[in-house]
Amino acid sequence: MSRVAPTSGSKALYFLCIALSSFLLYLDINYKSFERAKNLYKSFTISSSYLLKRVTIDPVNYIFEISKEKSKLIEENKKLKQELDNSFITNFIISRDSNFFADDASIKKFLDLNNINKPFHLAKINSFDIEKYLCCSQHKMFIEIFNNKDIDFIGSTVINNQGIVGQIIYDKSIAEVLLLTDISHVIPIISDNHFCNARGSGRPGVITCTYSKLIWPDPIEIGQEFFSSGMGGIYPSNVLIGNVSAINTIDDNNIHFDLDLVADPLQSIYIGVVEGL
Amino acid sequence: MRNIGVMKLLVAIFVANIIESYIAPILIKAYINIPITFLLFSFVIYKSRFNTNALYAFLFGLYVDFISDSPIGLNAALFSMMAYVVNSYANTFKLFSFIQICLFFSGSSVFYIGFSHLFINLENFSYLVLFISLVFNTFLFLVIAMLRLYFPSLTLQ
Repeated sequence: MSRVAPTSGSKALYFLCIALSSFLLYLDINYKSFERAKNLYKSFTISSSYLLKRVTIDPVNYIFEISKEKSKLIEENKKLKQELDNSFITNFIISRDSNFFADDASIKKFLDLNNINKPFHLAKINSFDIEKYLCCSQHKMFIEIFNNKDIDFIGSTVINNQGIVGQIIYDKSIAEVLLLTDISHVIPIISDNHFCNARGSGRPGVITCTYSKLIWPDPIEIGQEFFSSGMGGIYPSNVLIGNVSAINTIDDNNIHFDLDLVADPLQSIYIGVVEGL
Repeated sequence: MRNIGVMKLLVAIFVANIIESYIAPILIKAYINIPITFLLFSFVIYKSRFNTNALYAFLFGLYVDFISDSPIGLNAALFSMMAYVVNSYANTFKLFSFIQICLFFSGSSVFYIGFSHLFINLENFSYLVLFISLVFNTFLFLVIAMLRLYFPSLTLQ
């Protein structure tokens, strides 16, 4: 049986659908109109997968554990592992004096600024679209923060055991983290006495910066270290962000360079959330 | 092929999207992109005995936008465009050889990748990804199309 080619009426309907799609696309890209609906869907899928796991896999695991009469030990093991991850994140801040911070003074300043017993919260990555992270410009992840108190984490810095990963931009049932490499993300960075607003490149592990030689006459070098300046009020200052990996001259005055980040968000599923500074 | 039901297609697309999310991070390291959900939908409307309604394609596109975390409207527009093209040339396709059909689908998949990257990856738009995906998809579809010659039981009724 042959199929009839679209009539003028159905062509008009196709045109209408494409126009409507384009309008929705415009609204989503420019005004993020559907962000709430997307986050709702995301939290629903994460919650349902969590529930499904609790209903199906966990009981089987539990029976298995009982059969081996090691449930107490396993539970204790889990607790210890969580404690270990927690202390790992905290110790990382204290111990990485040579790599993580510019100098000892900045560590003291950082520790003074934040009561070390309070501001860090361990979190676990719940959902991370690696496909988007590797192929596209949107670099976001969803995390579950282990915190009983009712704290608003929006704007909080997210770190892993290598350095700063990003910041929290949405915090309802699950927290959404905007990574440093996301194209819409900007972080003020510093090296010696030079400032630059580094923008996410949309490539994994790379952020970019453009500066004018007229206001920054000193040349930069491959491998030069850049630290967070703390000027935006979001990130703590003097934390190592990355090293210069590529330098491109745009014209006589403007220089563009890439920074390889020291922190890889794929490195660990456990991360730390620093309460708003 | 018999027309597949809406629920079956919804589930199939959902599963295809999950498979795509697992495969894509591996393939992208080799600059290859296979839009499985788009190809599945295109194949279903291509094999359908009846013309696909524009709203049907639009709503399926919206559904894919939600489950794949794409900008809302992107897949809706592309699915509607694909449905229009397939419906318009449904009878012409009968004159095509399977190689031409494979080329059409690989071309469509590359158009999909290019168009979607204009919105979600403009800053790092890569022609290399488009070219390698075109070559890879063409060979992949040819292999899939030739499978029925060697394994006639796989032919869709």
